[in-house]
Formats: sequence, structure tokens, C-alpha cells
Amino acid sequence: MTRVRAEGIVKRFGDTPAVDGVTLEVQPGELFTLVGPSGCGKTTLLRIIAGLLELDAGTVRFNEDRMDEVPPYLRNIGVVFQNYAIFPHLTVRENIAYGLKARRFPADRIATKVAEAAKLVQLEGLVDRMPAQLSGGQQQRVVLARALVIEPRLLLMDEPLSNLDAKLRIQIRALIRTLQRELRITTIYVTHDQEEALAISDTIAVMDRGRILQVGKPWELYLQPGNRFVADFIGTMNVLQGRVEGSGQGPGRVSVLMDFGERWQVQATGVPGQPVTIGIRPESLQLLPGGNGTEAWNSLQGTITEVVYLGPVVRYQIRVAEEVDVTSEIHNPDFSAIHAVGDRLTLWFAASRAVALPGEPEPA
Amino acid sequence: MAGRRRDFWWSVTVLAFLTVVAFLVYPLATVLVTSFTGEEKRFVLADNYQRFFTHRYYYSSIINSLYLSTLATLGAVLVGTALALAVVRYPLPGKTFLRTAANLALLSPPFIGAYSWVVLFGRMGLVNRLLGTFGWELPTIYGWRGILLVFIVQYFPFVFLLVSAALRSVDQSIEDAALSLGSPPRRTFRTAILPVIAPSLTAGALLVFMATMADFGTPMIIGEGLRTLPTLMYGEFINELGGNPAMASTLGSLLILVNTTALMAQRYYAFRKAYNVVCIQPLKLQPLSPGKKAALTVFAYSVVAVALIPSTTIIVSSFMPTRGPVMYAGLSLQSYQTIFHVVPRAIANTFVLTALAVLLDILLGVLVAYLLARRRSHTHTLLDALIMLAYAIPGTVVGVGLIVVFNRPPVVLTGTWIILLISYFIRHLPYPVRSCTAMLQQIDIRVEEASVSLGVPPFRTFLKVTIPLMFPAILSGAALSWMTTIGELSSSILLYSGPWATMSVAIFTEVFSNHFGTASALASILIAAAFVPLFLTYRVLGERAALSM
Repeated sequence: MTRVRAEGIVKRFGDTPAVDGVTLEVQPGELFTLVGPSGCGKTTLLRIIAGLLELDAGTVRFNEDRMDEVPPYLRNIGVVFQNYAIFPHLTVRENIAYGLKARRFPADRIATKVAEAAKLVQLEGLVDRMPAQLSGGQQQRVVLARALVIEPRLLLMDEPLSNLDAKLRIQIRALIRTLQRELRITTIYVTHDQEEALAISDTIAVMDRGRILQVGKPWELYLQPGNRFVADFIGTMNVLQGRVEGSGQGPGRVSVLMDFGERWQVQATGVPGQPVTIGIRPESLQLLPGGNGTEAWNSLQGTITEVVYLGPVVRYQIRVAEEVDVTSEIHNPDFSAIHAVGDRLTLWFAASRAVALPGEPEPA
Repeated sequence: MAGRRRDFWWSVTVLAFLTVVAFLVYPLATVLVTSFTGEEKRFVLADNYQRFFTHRYYYSSIINSLYLSTLATLGAVLVGTALALAVVRYPLPGKTFLRTAANLALLSPPFIGAYSWVVLFGRMGLVNRLLGTFGWELPTIYGWRGILLVFIVQYFPFVFLLVSAALRSVDQSIEDAALSLGSPPRRTFRTAILPVIAPSLTAGALLVFMATMADFGTPMIIGEGLRTLPTLMYGEFINELGGNPAMASTLGSLLILVNTTALMAQRYYAFRKAYNVVCIQPLKLQPLSPGKKAALTVFAYSVVAVALIPSTTIIVSSFMPTRGPVMYAGLSLQSYQTIFHVVPRAIANTFVLTALAVLLDILLGVLVAYLLARRRSHTHTLLDALIMLAYAIPGTVVGVGLIVVFNRPPVVLTGTWIILLISYFIRHLPYPVRSCTAMLQQIDIRVEEASVSLGVPPFRTFLKVTIPLMFPAILSGAALSWMTTIGELSSSILLYSGPWATMSVAIFTEVFSNHFGTASALASILIAAAFVPLFLTYRVLGERAALSM
């Protein structure tokens, strides 16, 4: 199994840095996801690791081997591209065998390995078809088999699901995850879809403007976003401004006076008068306080401006003050949880569910 | 992956530049410089140009050329666009036939078209003699009327092909939207459809303009002394009383100026006005009243019939017994027997030289296209522009340039077959470069990257993946190169010598010696030789792909 270490990676296109000093470490056998908005440098970084782009500065190591000077065809990596990059002039069998032939495997070995790989991705019986006769999902399986059959040190996937419809996306996602776990192959996965990243990854790195902002387990990023960008990008976050008043009730807590007048207890540090940015997930905002007696609960009041009823969830937009809106999601709502536009509501959340986001509050 | 190293592709860049500079840029520059040379090779500022613009003998040529090319372009645009609209938008019978026939009209070289009209309507022409027995007389086919007729008939298919392709890429929703916004049909065409097809229409017009400006054979055969820039240039260069290379170069420089100006004007316009259209649902056929449908059908079939007259005439007349320019009713292989006696060498020369030139065009064209599509840099943009120059420069000018450069040491090539090969190769290099670049832009670069990541080094990936995927473009580029090379006259007539005459030269001299039967037989072989590869390409690739140029 391969450990990937990239240090100080820089890549410029003209004057604009596409990757601006990235350092990361991918543990052996894990599925590591680079997630971020388009143009954040995630694909550039992947292509640098694949060797398809030369880097301007930095080093790439697979275990102890320096790779950044090694040409891509000697790196022994499997790459799965966004739009399949299937060889349209070759049959499925020839596509899968392509890398084995380049490695001069004997014909009988190739036949066995192709058959195994085809079985692995559930393509038996289709190996003599031309790519044009396959559906998008089948083409993606061919490409997956083609990348895996060479037993690469590393599997790189660049938005592999983005050309598939919603149902297939979940199917292929599950297939990728199962194969990756079974084969215990270190994988770097690129996507712009935060939900996909949460679902598939062991570790996620959130990228923006050529830099990695935060690395962590999916739940770490969701529950403890390190900054405003990660908070917004992974899931939805209500972001509210206030100032520290003094120490709060309980260890690690401070009392905060919010700009719209509420007084809250939150997990944060700070001296009185210091501005703080508080993040609360929509599903943390409840209609009634709950939990045990020892937990502190904060509240806010507002008027409903929009209701979206989805069955398992009802989503409210609530105006708390001039230019301050929050989103609340009530799961498994019963009749009593249904309200109309214009109703006034009081929402509650556990003090432990509020996250202090570092960084200056954005100017109004 | 792509370093700035001196790798294989670096060598290709250098080779391509050397080739284009040696065989195109340097000769053309020499023509330009020569136009500023006076007697005893002294530099003179504008003596030659002054002489040109003050003597009617000279300046009438540019007036004639501009006049003929402008009218021919207008005519070809009108006929070509009308036919395209008729075929694409209205339910006419036999559309495949109409399209195929319009394509076939492109097969015979224009000077053969001119010759065919002489066979029919010339002084000894079949139709004229027939009518003469009734005492009727037609207006003369010779002179500017004949040239214009040949030009329009010969070149309207360019406009037709480009405009119908553009019309097929217009989405019905564009028309629906305009109509639903209250724009009447005529206005809708003018304001919503015409702007979208305008780049293709002007590209067609440009092709017609440049080709008619450059056409040497047509005015020679049917012009009867009407001077155009290429014919006067030829006359000044090859003059029995001693050629005048300086004046020939002056005429050549003016030709270069006119054609490159036209090219740049169209490129500038098309660049600013090109829209990306996504066509999901093509334009619907519009219903027609029976009367209008009949009228439109008659129009479309008449146009196509006229376009097919030249090739038909040539082929039919090649099987008729002849004496000099006079043809008699009957069937005879006399003409074919004669040519295999008289000019077998010319036939062999043509096929061998054309095949060699096409092969070289493909070899360099594929490599250059890869550079242009995959490793674009300022250097390669310049290379692209230089290669495309060959597109705009008339064969007569290339011919004169090659002679001026290669008839003196260090490299003397005049009088050899090599100089013909060079001209053919360099003039038709743009076809495979264009077709292959366009194809490469459609092939996802990630397919090549996938191959590299699977362990196949870049150059082997190029051979194993890129070349097979480019195959359709290679084939259509080769077919177009072949088709345009095999009947090439304007530079051959200057560059050939003694044993190295080609079929086009032989036809030309046969026509001028009034041997119409042998000329027809040779021209028929030429038409067949141009047709077969195009037909095969069609069969392999289908119509759309073959015409993707």
C-alpha cells in the first residue's frame, strides 16, 4: 500500500497560481478526497500527482520514492477521468488490456486478468462490445477496470461520477467504495460535490483558491469547520455575528451578545468586546428545547418568510432581524411542526451545537 | 509533461518551419523583392508599380480580375445560398441526388470546365454547329461572359456546401423564438437565421473570391486575350521575347495583396461574428404550395444540371470521333488510343507526383496538426498562419517564386520533377492540417492522458491512440489534397519542363493545339482520378465526415 506525501506544491498558469503551496499526506489504503468549487485547483493537484502536469515547486513522494521527476507512464497509477477517456477505437476487452499490453504481460495472463477485472466491475459478457454500444455507467465501469487491472500503486479519480444520472451515481459510488476497500488501494478522489465527498471518503481536504483549508474526517469537517468557507461549502450553515460579553456558564464557554439582541452561551474563547462569528447548522435549530437538564439551550425569535415542505423535512426561512435570516430544518415533522409564512417562531439550539468560526466577521 | 526540451516535437516544429520558409515564405518574399527591382538588379522604389498603374495594358488586368471575381463571388453566393435554402428548408424530391451532384461539380478542375463550355458553345462547338445548321447563332461564349459563367458554375458548390452545413446547425428554437416574438418570416430570416450562417456564407464567398482571383486556366482558355492578373503574370514571365520577372513579380505581389486582404477581412469578420450554436432540433422543413414547390424543384434541378454539364460533356466527348476541334456523332476509343500513344508519360507523372505530394502532405500535416492542437504556442500560431498562406496564394505566384529561387545556386531545381512536387506539396498542405486540427480539437486530450497513465509513453500513445482516432480526418484531408493536386495547372504550367509535363499541362496544350478529342480523354481520366478517392472516402466515412473540412 502506498502513502502519498506532497509537499509545498506550486503550479502557476501564467501569473495566476492554480495550486499555491499545498502540502498533504494520504495514508496507505485510504480514500482521500479533494473537494472544492470549480477552479480551486483540485484537478490541477490531481494531475500533478498523476504526472500529467509538471509542477513549478514542491515534491511528490509515493512511500519513500521521489515521484515528481518520474514521467507519468512510469508512475504506475490508475487514473479515472471525468468523461471516461475510454479508447473509442478499442473493444472493452482491448481497453482493459491496454495497460497490461504496455507492460508486456503474456497473452494468457492478460486474458485471465481482463476476465477477472471485468467480473470485478460486473461487465462480464460485454467485453467484446465497442464503447459506443455501452451506456454511460458501463463505460465508467470499463474505465475503472482498466485503471485497476494494472494493480496501480495509487488510484486517482477526477470527478468520476459527474456525467452519470443521479441513480447511477449512487450505484457506481458504492461500487468504487467497495472495490477500493477490498483491494485496499490508496485512492485520491476529486469532486466538487460535498455530499459525494462526505459519502465516499475516509479523509477530506477542502480546497479553495489553490490552497487546502482544512483536512479531516467527514464528520470533523461537518461538525467542526475550521473557517467560514469550509462551514459554507460542507453542508449549509447559518452564520451570525456577535460580541463576547464575558465568561459563560460552564467550562470553555463564553457569553455572547448577538448583533440582533439575543444573549447566547457558546463554546468559544475571547475577551469581552471581541467580535465572534457563530455558525449553526439548520438541523440544530429546533422548535422546542430538548436534551438533559445540564445542557445549556439558546434561543432566537423571528418571522417565517418561506416554507418548503419535503415530507421527511420541513425547511423554514426565518427573518430574525433586518438583513439577518436563518434556515431551520425540522426533521420528521408532525402536524404541530407545520407553520405558515408570517408566523412568529422561537427556535432553540444546544450550546454545544454552535461553532465559533475564526476570522474577521465580513463587513456588512 | 511537456517540457521545453529538444524532443521529437521540437524537431517537427523546426522541420515544419524550415519547410514552409524554404518553399513558401522565401519564394514569396523573393517575388515581393523582385517587384522592387529594376534593370541590372538595382533596387527601385516603385518603378514597376508606376509602370503598372500608368499603362492600360497592365492596369486593365487588375480591373478585369477584381471585376470578374466580384461578380463571380456575388453570383456564386446567390446561387449557392438559394440552392442551400431550397434543399435544407423545403421538401424537395431527390435531395441526396442534389447534394451529391453539387459535390461532383467540384471534381473537375476549373480550366476543364472552361474547356467543356468551348466544346459545347465555342466556334466549332457541338451546340453551335447544330444551331448553325438552322441558321441560328448564339452570343459568343468567349471573353468575360464565358469566364463569369465558368466561375459561377464551378464555384457555387463551395457556398452551397458551407451554407447548407451552417443551416443544418441552426436550431429550430431560434426561428420559433423570433416568430413567437412577433417577427414575420422574412424578417426572422434576416435577423435571426442569416446572422448565424453569415460566417459560413462569408467563408464560402472568400473561397470563391480567392479561387477566381487565382484561376489561370479559365481566362486562358475561354477569355480569348482578356487579361487577368494571373494570365498577364504568366505572359510576362514566360515571354518569347524574353521574360520580365520584375513585372511578373509586381503582378504577383498585387495578387498576394488582394487575396491576403480578402482572407484577413473575412477572418476578422468571422472571428467577431462567430457564434457557438448548439443544435438539438434542426430547422423544420417548411410546407410549400404545389406551384411554389414545382418552381423551386425546377430551379434546384436546373442549377445542378448546369453544374454537371462540364463533366458530362467531357466524358461524352472523349468517346466521340474527332478531327481537330470538330467532334462527330458516334462512338470511338480513338482519343484514348491516341493519348496512350502520345502522352503516357504525362499520365504517369501526374499520378506519381500527386501520390508523393499527398503522402508528404499527410505526414507533415498530421504532425503539424498535433502541434497546433496539443502544444499551441506563439511559435505554432505563426506556423499555422504561414501554412495557411498557401491557401491564399495563387499557384502562378508560387510557381514564379519557386523558379526565381531555385533556378540559381546553391540549389537548382528548375527542370526537375522535384520542383513540381514541392509546389504540389506546399500548396495543398493546408488541407490535412485543417482537417486533422479540427479532428484533434474534438478528441478529448484525456484519452491520450489515460494511455500515458496506463504506461504507454507519449510518442507511442500518439501512434496507438491519436493516429487511429484521427483516421477519418487523415482520410478526408488526403482525399481533398489528392483532388485539388491532381488537376493543378497554374503552377505546373510554369514549373514543368520537357519530360515532366503533367496531365493538366497536356490537356492545356492539347486544347491550344485544337486536339479536343485527346484533351477530353485526358480530362476524363483526370475527373475519374479525382472522383475515386473522394467516393471511397464517402463510402468509408459517410457524407458528413468526408465534408468536415
